[in-house]
Amino acid sequence: MTDVKQADPPAIEAQGLKVHFQTAAGLVRAVDGVDLTIPKGAFHGIVGESGCGKTTLARAIIGLQHATEGTVQINGRDRADWQKQDRKGFARAVQFIFQDPLGSMSRRQTVGQTLEEPLLIHSIGNASERKQRLAELLDLVALPATVLDRIPRSLSGGQRQRVSIARALALNPSLLICDEPLSALDVSVRAQIVNLFARLQAQLGLTIVIVAHDLAIVREVCSEVTVMYLGRVAEQGVTKPVFADPAHPYTQALLSAVPSPDPRIEAPRPRILLAGDPPSPRNPPPGCRFSTRCPVVEPQCRVTEPQLRPVAHSGQAACHLAAAESHAVI
Amino acid sequence: MKNWPWLILTPAIIFVLIGLFAPFLMTHDPTVQDYKAILSPASWSHWLGTDYLGRDMYSRIIGGARTSLVAMVFVLLAALVIGVVIGSFAGYVGGRTELVLISIIDIALALPSLIIALALIGVFSGASWSWMSDYWKMIIALTLAWWANYARMSRAVVVAELQQPYIEAARVMGASHMWIFTKHILPHVLGLVVVYASADAGALVLAIATLSFLGLGVAPPTPEWGQMLVDGMSYIEEFPSLVIIPGLALTAVVVSFNLLGEAFALQKVPKAVRGGLLRRKKATRAAEETARAATEAKV
Amino acid sequence: MNAPVYAVENLVIDLYTPSVSVRAVDGASFHVSPGETLAIVGESGSGKTVMTLGPLGLMPEGVAVDLRGTARADGRDILTLSPSELSALRGGFFGVIFQDPMSALNPMLKIGPQLASQAQKYAGLSAEAARKEAVSLLARSGIPDPEDRYDRYPHELSGGMLQRAMIALALAARPRVLIADEPTTALDATVQAQILALIRTIQKEDGIAVVLITHDIGAVSVLADRVIVLYAGQIAEEGTAIQVLTAPVHPYTRGLLASVPDFRSESATGTKEIPGIPPNQAQLMPGCRFADRCDMVQATCHSHRPRLQTVGLGDVPHRVACPVVIAAEGIVTHD
Repeated sequence: MTDVKQADPPAIEAQGLKVHFQTAAGLVRAVDGVDLTIPKGAFHGIVGESGCGKTTLARAIIGLQHATEGTVQINGRDRADWQKQDRKGFARAVQFIFQDPLGSMSRRQTVGQTLEEPLLIHSIGNASERKQRLAELLDLVALPATVLDRIPRSLSGGQRQRVSIARALALNPSLLICDEPLSALDVSVRAQIVNLFARLQAQLGLTIVIVAHDLAIVREVCSEVTVMYLGRVAEQGVTKPVFADPAHPYTQALLSAVPSPDPRIEAPRPRILLAGDPPSPRNPPPGCRFSTRCPVVEPQCRVTEPQLRPVAHSGQAACHLAAAESHAVI
Repeated sequence: MKNWPWLILTPAIIFVLIGLFAPFLMTHDPTVQDYKAILSPASWSHWLGTDYLGRDMYSRIIGGARTSLVAMVFVLLAALVIGVVIGSFAGYVGGRTELVLISIIDIALALPSLIIALALIGVFSGASWSWMSDYWKMIIALTLAWWANYARMSRAVVVAELQQPYIEAARVMGASHMWIFTKHILPHVLGLVVVYASADAGALVLAIATLSFLGLGVAPPTPEWGQMLVDGMSYIEEFPSLVIIPGLALTAVVVSFNLLGEAFALQKVPKAVRGGLLRRKKATRAAEETARAATEAKV
Repeated sequence: MNAPVYAVENLVIDLYTPSVSVRAVDGASFHVSPGETLAIVGESGSGKTVMTLGPLGLMPEGVAVDLRGTARADGRDILTLSPSELSALRGGFFGVIFQDPMSALNPMLKIGPQLASQAQKYAGLSAEAARKEAVSLLARSGIPDPEDRYDRYPHELSGGMLQRAMIALALAARPRVLIADEPTTALDATVQAQILALIRTIQKEDGIAVVLITHDIGAVSVLADRVIVLYAGQIAEEGTAIQVLTAPVHPYTRGLLASVPDFRSESATGTKEIPGIPPNQAQLMPGCRFADRCDMVQATCHSHRPRLQTVGLGDVPHRVACPVVIAAEGIVTHD
């Protein structure tokens, strides 16, 4: 992999990424061969159901999870090498936001100490400069200065997530990876945080990767989307076209499962109901992983595993029945 | 622990204060023998009387407190440092190193600490160790008998804390192992271990007295409660106060420190375990959330 | 319209912990009739669960509860019942499904026998008939190979299957009212859709009354005939699902709906936000509880508690507790 990089390499380029772990019950293939390219400046959503490997993928990208196979390049540099040679430099370029904001903060620290920690680790500024930076950060995430002396536990869910976002931004990263940052929040607060992400992305020119299960929100804010099923990418592309004309039967079912909040739309709408639960990532079925639940399954699907191929919405889908001109509709 | 009896701590506090200010509190030199006043009863010149060598009992009790306190502090500090270092190291590095260290800790824990101390003093009694005073032999022996507790505890805290997501968060921020250990893990370890050490203080005072009682610890004429008990034993029928006074002092300190430790330990137990053990039903959870949100907002 | 099978009026629930007292429900009334689904919508802490399950004696543990008002099941006052009578009522008349299936299923017992004993106890079936009933309940709940699952322990089933087993358990006693407390929150999208469809099928087939407690507007839209929107223990708005979800009047309902994006509707704006956080119920102010977060707030909102006013007539009146919007938009009231 020593070919000359183009002028502006993508923010993330994962190739053949596999994350397997050994458990008492057997080998779990959480991520099982994922190729993913995310250009700079994108707002990328990774969606799928629990057990599809989306969180593991996000963690493997930033090195929190050891990749069994495959490589990840970030801004054109090999992630593993970069972290080994320049841990702090990597941290300044890439930051991660955890699903549980409270758990990701020390319970012995105030909000102020939590936000200051990255600056201290990187020896940035003197006391007054750091204080200044904290004020800027709070401003960025729309929190009042009064939260600095409070402990994270005493904040509301939305405020906690704002603090964790502010901390991630403290080092001015260019890439932000977020693991289900909305799932711990109340509905009316979710919108606040989503809008915050959208604003920050525009304001700071960030590349954001967000792992989510709320498809409606992904469609609202993400410029591009990756749909995962059982450790593999089922479909990817630009969000709006993918949602308008999904090529993979799983994407179609997943989108169909999201109810409309408007009963006038919801009542007459034909719904796709899949049979059963997703299979266990411990023993994925042979051939296409979706073949056990797919309503339009064909004999070849149970034998050969489909690769990602270009489809009508100009993204890609891993389905034998999908092609550039047409795809199965269920 | 709303109404827990602070009074019960008085002996422990008095013990520490007396130990600290012993030189100012003693009315006599506790080692000076006054043959004209052997076994005299309490009087204005000898507040608690004198012992069989005419030494002032009051001053010896005070001096004994200092001896015990100093020995106790030495042993606790040394045991804490060794225990925390070995335990934390085992927990942090994991793998084979951890297994080896755990085995050592387990062996040390399996034997009663007093037995280890006795065995070690036996080893130290050899000629090649004669340059060291009995006092220091005792302190080293007790330290080696005591560290394993703290090592085990430290390792447990480190392992538990390492699994917390905020450690991962620190790693994501680019923190070094040293940073994570000193800023995040060590405070947790010390927070717990120091509390347990305070509970051990009483047992340690007792162990020091026991060793001295057996003639293996503090040597005469240094005032020491265990030593005083031995000295008093011969006169227990005629002058029971010679045994009762150091005995009471020892009992008060041991009980007091034990209660202190117990109180700390109770406060360390998570509220969930102390209070409502059962919060299973979702129905209960929602209302709790309401109440909690209210409490939190109030904070 | 059918006579209600479960009706609660002027319910006030105070919860006391050693340090705070909270008015969790403040003067709420609701009823549900056979064959109808009532959705009670609110965010966490809004009191939606206590309001529905409190009168049945399912109360938070570790807090003292003071409950006033009336609650009738099939015309019978249930607030005067003894704990054992209430327990019998919960098992038979009411079926409850929770977010976490393990709170209803005994992990030490096989699934089938749990269902059968429920059917034996409340539906008065013989042991033999109860077993058959249990298998058919599992099948009805969409569990493949029910004969095999009958002898499984709860931990051997996947999340979606457990949810189905719990629904089967709730149905085993042939309840008249099914109360579903966040039944799909913990589930994945495709499984969520299955469970919602299952609840709807059961309701249509058995004609039972369903109370759906949720914060998920999507689930409401799928299932509900009528909707009650609860904010900080008070009813903000109620009416048919169509009225409340498509023509909301109360600023909270409007805000809540605007914050939920809908990718099927071109007109929905999506992810508009309601500023602030729900109020502290231990220190409630007089007046409207939404006043602090409301963009239409006026001086009187802070001092006068708004009462529910009827803004739409029909079988199900559409009622809203916001005089400000009603006045500002010239909405005709019918009180």
